[in-house]
This record gives sequence, structure tokens and C-alpha cells, in this order.
Amino acid sequence: MRLSAKRRGPLSVIDGLRQVGSLKVLFPRMNEDALTAVLLNTAGGITGGDRFTADITAGEGTTLTLTTQAAERAYRAQPDSRGEVRTRLTLAPGARLDWLPQETLLYDRAALARRLEVDLAADATFLGVETLVFGRAAMGETLRDLTLSDHITVTRGGRTIFADRLRFAGDAQAHLARAGVAGGAGAMASLIRAAPDAADRLGPARDLIGAAGGIGSPAPGIVFARLVASDGFALRRVLIPLIALFRSDPLPRPWMI
Amino acid sequence: MGIPMAARMIIPMTTRTTDPLPVLHQLFSPAFPVGAFAYSHGLETAIAEGRVADAGTLRDWVSAVVEHGAGWSDAVLIARTAAGEDVADLALALCVSPGRQTETQAQGAAFAATVRAVWGADVTDAAYPVAVGHTLRALDLPLRDAIRLYLQAFAANLISAGVRLIPLGQTDGQRLVLALGPVFDQLADAAMTAGTDDLGGLTPVTDIDSLRHETLGTRVFRT
Repeated sequence: MRLSAKRRGPLSVIDGLRQVGSLKVLFPRMNEDALTAVLLNTAGGITGGDRFTADITAGEGTTLTLTTQAAERAYRAQPDSRGEVRTRLTLAPGARLDWLPQETLLYDRAALARRLEVDLAADATFLGVETLVFGRAAMGETLRDLTLSDHITVTRGGRTIFADRLRFAGDAQAHLARAGVAGGAGAMASLIRAAPDAADRLGPARDLIGAAGGIGSPAPGIVFARLVASDGFALRRVLIPLIALFRSDPLPRPWMI
Repeated sequence: MGIPMAARMIIPMTTRTTDPLPVLHQLFSPAFPVGAFAYSHGLETAIAEGRVADAGTLRDWVSAVVEHGAGWSDAVLIARTAAGEDVADLALALCVSPGRQTETQAQGAAFAATVRAVWGADVTDAAYPVAVGHTLRALDLPLRDAIRLYLQAFAANLISAGVRLIPLGQTDGQRLVLALGPVFDQLADAAMTAGTDDLGGLTPVTDIDSLRHETLGTRVFRT
């Protein structure tokens, strides 16, 4: 899937769109200047052997919000196979892009390799969130066997300025139960903000997060937060106000349904 | 008689001319001036919040960081740097908290400065594991042993922080260092053949502890 946004007067509009395979894009009619795109995986989930690629560009001066229609599901994969998801986001000068997919639910025996690559112009503003839910707690599902690699890489002018690398293979249930690992948490989120003024709301963000996680600015123009919660629902209670704080706007509608 | 002058002159100063093990022990001794004692890697947060309170919980926290956190990633970064790969930007980018940035930059700069001053080796300031990797190349030191000692120094420093903050007995602390020995060996073996795609782990709680440290009320450690 390829999508790009351009400026037309005060509006951000579709510049190019190419859809292949089961990854579709919807554009809900919004009463705002920004462009909102909702990604929809018509295959209903990811399993071994799947390969999803999205290449998205926010053109000069545009404001683009991306979300997903529903939670993504990483289903059980056949041994020695894995599902691959690669998302490339490019932010032109003056662009703002919010990458706000809903949760990714990891099922037992899921094998997922995901890469989010963000390339920023010096004055662009990026906000990104990735949420993992380890098994469906409400259904009593446990994650005995998980293969996960989840990468977030942010580059500015070709130089790597931020890299989060989540990687695990084995009994996730036992691993996450460890006090020093996740203290029994069933869900976690990572939030990254990259912008010249990225750190301007650190104080209020800390108050909002409370005991649910930590936030800080590891380098100039970068803010990173890690959150944990017992399940996806509990995580949303912190994550939704946190995203709203950094967006200065409400969350895209699919999050609220 | 000795070695003829001409032969002696072509031996570069950085070539291994003596047993490398004492050099490795010197580089990763607590007395080597990198200032490791000032950093808890976020452990102080876990102790202040009561989640690490005895030898068992300390071992759990430290082994999580060593096996699935900065310990493993540093091992891979040392190996890749020693193999000649440029991972300098990536090493800094991987530090997701301000505390880890401080630790790796300050210790890396102190390590490189001492190596330059003592061995005359051309090692520039970089993230700590990158400065270590360059030093191993410059002084032609054995990689696997270096990683084992680096990891032991890293873990022993955290355990020492735990011994002081919890507090625990010194012998309990030393038992924990000994118990982690097989882990250092396994990680060193795995790091020898790992690539940059193998970096990372899954320890959200220790990430959070590091991120929360800068707003901790009373702090003994810098991170």
C-alpha cells in the first residue's frame, strides 16, 4: 500500500494512493483541514508467511493522521514461518504525521516481525504509538509460545536518532510474569514523539501516566514513553488521554467506538 | 641477542605482545575510571518503589537487564564494532531513556579517554559498548572473554548498587555475581555470531524504571 498527502490551500488531501492485497485505506469524511486515513486489513489478521507493506508520505506542510479500523491480530503461525509487517513513514518539511494504530493482539504461537521506519525532516512533527496485547486475558488465553520482533527506527536527515527494539522468543507468559520484566502485565505500549518541541508537555504527561509507566526525553527533539497494564482495556485508560495531550486533538474515531 | 632492530620496529605499538587477560581485567575492573559506581540503570527506582527488596528480587531484576536488556544489546554492539561495523549512531539511538543516554555516553567517553592516555590507541568518544569494541580492535584483545568480563562488570556494578540501597550483605551480593556466571558465557557465545537484527529484548519494567528515575524524590545514583 502506498499513500501520500499534499497540501491544497489549508487542506491536506490525497496526493497518491495505491492499494494491493488485503491492506485497504478508508478516508472518513472529517470536518477538519487534516487528512485522516484508516487502515483496514481485510484478511482479518496476520499469520505466518503474510507480508504487509505500507509506504506513507506526509508532503510538505500537510497534517496526516493514520489509524486502523480495528485491533490487529497476530494469529498462530506454522512452525518456521512468520508474518512480516513493514511500515515506512516519510515526513516532508513542515509536515505532521500521527501514527495511531489500535492494539495488536498476539495469539499463542504467533510469530510476528514488525518494522516501523520513520524518516523526518528537521522541522516535522511525528507522534507514534504501538500497543501489544499478550493474549486475550478475557478469554483466559495464555501465551506459551511467542516469537516477536518489533522495531521502531526514527531517522532525521538519514541519521538514526531513535531505535526501539523489542525482541522475544519463548514462553511469553512466564517471561512477562517476572517482576523485573513486566510484573505480570498483559499489555504494553510505546509512544514516541519526535519534533523540535517534543519535550514541551513532559510534566503533564508524567502526571497523566502516574504509576503506569515512564516517560522521558533521551535526546533533543525526542520523547519516549513505555506503559504497562494488566490488559488492553486498562492500558487505554492511560493511553487515550496521553495521545490526546500530545495531539492537542481528540483521537481518531475508530479508537472511540 | 634479542629481536633484530628492524623486526622490532615493524611491530606496531598496539599489537598484542603480552598475555591479553590482565589487560581485559584492567579494562573491566571497578578501578578503571569509567565512573560506573554512579549509575544504577534504573535499579534505584525499583528499590525505592519496593519492587526490589531482597536477594531474590535483585537477581530477577539484574538478570532481566543482563539477558533481555542493555547487557545483551551491549554484547552485540561490542561484537559488531569489534568486527568493523559502524553501529555508533544505533548504539546511542537504542538508549530509550535519558538515564541510559547519560550512562553510555559518560562511561564511553571516560573509557575512551583512559585508553587513549594509557595505551596511546586511537579510540574516539562513543557509546560505551562502541568505545569497548574499538579498543578490542586497537589492542587486539579476545572478543569472547572481553564480552564475558564486560557483562560481569555490568552486573556486579548493579548488584553492588543493590547491596548498598536495599541493603544486602556483601556475601549475598557476591553469590549473585557468581550465580550469573553461566549467563555471561551464554550471552558472549551468542553475541559472537549475532547481527544488528538480534539487538533488543522485552523488559518493559526495567525501561520504565530507568525513565522514572529522573523524577525520583531522593537519589543516591545519577541514573
